[in-house]
Amino acid sequence: MSTESCCGGNKLALVFASMLLRLWLAMRAIQTGIEKYAGSKASQEAVNIDGAANSYGLTASASVKQYALENYHGVPQALMEKFKAEPLMSEAMLRLYDRVLGPALIVLGVTILLGIASRASLFLLGLLYISLTWGLILIKQDEGVAWLGVHMIMVVMALVLAEHNRFTLLKKW
Amino acid sequence: MKMETSVISRRDFIGKAAGGIGAGLVLGAPNILRAAQGEASDKIHVALVGFGKQGKVLFDAMSNIPGLHFQAVCDIWDYNLKGGIAKVRALQGHTPKGYADIDEMLATEKGLDAAIVATPDFWHSPHTVKCLEAGLHVYCEKMMANTIEGARAMVRAMEKTGKLCQIGHQRRSNPRYRFTLEQLIKGNRICGQIVNINGQWNRAVSSSQDIGYNPKLAIKPEVLARYGFKDMHQFMNWRTYRDLSGGPISDLGAHQIDIFNWFLGVPPKSVFASGGNDYFKTREHFDNVMTIFDYETPQGGVRAFYQVLTTTSAGGGYYESFMGTEATIQISERSAFTNIYRESSAPSWDGLVSRGFLKRQAAAPKAQSADAIASYESAAPEAYALPGDLSKPPHQPHLENFFDAVRGKAALTCDARHAFESEAPIYWVNPSALSRQPINLTAEHLSV
Repeated sequence: MSTESCCGGNKLALVFASMLLRLWLAMRAIQTGIEKYAGSKASQEAVNIDGAANSYGLTASASVKQYALENYHGVPQALMEKFKAEPLMSEAMLRLYDRVLGPALIVLGVTILLGIASRASLFLLGLLYISLTWGLILIKQDEGVAWLGVHMIMVVMALVLAEHNRFTLLKKW
Repeated sequence: MKMETSVISRRDFIGKAAGGIGAGLVLGAPNILRAAQGEASDKIHVALVGFGKQGKVLFDAMSNIPGLHFQAVCDIWDYNLKGGIAKVRALQGHTPKGYADIDEMLATEKGLDAAIVATPDFWHSPHTVKCLEAGLHVYCEKMMANTIEGARAMVRAMEKTGKLCQIGHQRRSNPRYRFTLEQLIKGNRICGQIVNINGQWNRAVSSSQDIGYNPKLAIKPEVLARYGFKDMHQFMNWRTYRDLSGGPISDLGAHQIDIFNWFLGVPPKSVFASGGNDYFKTREHFDNVMTIFDYETPQGGVRAFYQVLTTTSAGGGYYESFMGTEATIQISERSAFTNIYRESSAPSWDGLVSRGFLKRQAAAPKAQSADAIASYESAAPEAYALPGDLSKPPHQPHLENFFDAVRGKAALTCDARHAFESEAPIYWVNPSALSRQPINLTAEHLSV
């Protein structure tokens, strides 16, 4: 086995590793952002008896998931109340964060996916995860903190592998 | 909207003895009830008579029904009247006429089609009769009246004027109740022979307290006196006074005892009741009442026990339980209190489940209890549920039925005649409890 083939093979592996991390982090951020626009629409449907809709008006509830701008909640309502009760948390900042979080995740996810200023995008995504981690530390959600810690490791790995990034729209930054 | 109704004479029916009185119940209401004749037009012009607690409940249910125009609101209490006007204005965008006096309203308002009567029980009959005689169709809250004579007057007025008169036993239009009676009890006979009925409405002391009011909003004494109230406390708490209402057995029990009579299709042969002022010592009506009705049905005898307790809420809320040799259907206006139990010896219901008539509930865990003696025990029944629910406020289907009947599109599910047949035995519960004697119910007790 020659050195050249050895290094070429390693390089290809590093390119693939970079792409996989990039795809994972982009998907994670985009879909998390989109889910903040998800809601459910409850509907009542006639119950079928003997294969046909019953004539009495008996209904069963059905819930359909749907996405809409009016469904948007950056910070889940249950967590929002807990954050508001924290003395270190400014309510004005919380409201701003609530508005920005979803769009920020989607924008950063798209820039990472398309390779637009990948390093800067990954850095900003890391900052975003740090801000989320701080909030979860405040309300003592240790499992969430650990979960975000795993995300941070992946962001750092993606930054380390950034030089092997391929198929990018803007290599600068 | 103007229309006249066709009247089907039921003089023969009236003349029959107690056994015959149940004929309407046996035949099933829609077959002999009346619907208004005539073409439907755009709007039904409605007067709201009484805008207290129940008036608001009915208005909220009606606000979901298209094609209604609330033309006038009538209430002797300015506080209720203003509240009613505001709610109507919020719904339909313009202000209805407000009246403190029903006679003035009926004399002034032109073009009314229907009245919704939700005044205190002792005013039901006079108000309903006035409205019917003024040419309006009437939806009147139950209990029809505080006296059986008042209820009789309502039936006579309905039949004399030919107008529609729906009584607010709203379970009669509830899809869950109608499905249970027509498909499960009659159609598929899942109960086998019904041998017993058990019903209750248990309400905690905290929910049975006197209703207070802001003294600044009190009605003037002369106005109260004009409308039959001796003071503001009586106005707010008329349900606890003997001259103004039938008490808890009428307030709460009437809904459920109506279901006994409707489902069995016959009136009871006798009633025996016991009651007492166990907690609310100064109230005129009993705070707790227990009653046993005896029925003779084509399938055999049935005893029905009913209790209304205003002093404790334990025991599973409010429901009517039809107990048969093959199954028990415990039904309630609240879906959460409704359960169906198949006796272990009954034929399989797998076919009914697969066809959609019933839903199987999760099996209860088998108890491993040292205090159970096998020879004393029956096998635990399997639990099932109705296949669906009502997705509207519980009064809405009954009001929809009323307005459909006004438009000539439906027959009333509980007109005054059928409501009377079902309510008549209830008027004899308090007399039985007061005398501590059973009362054998005859045609004299039960007929118009």
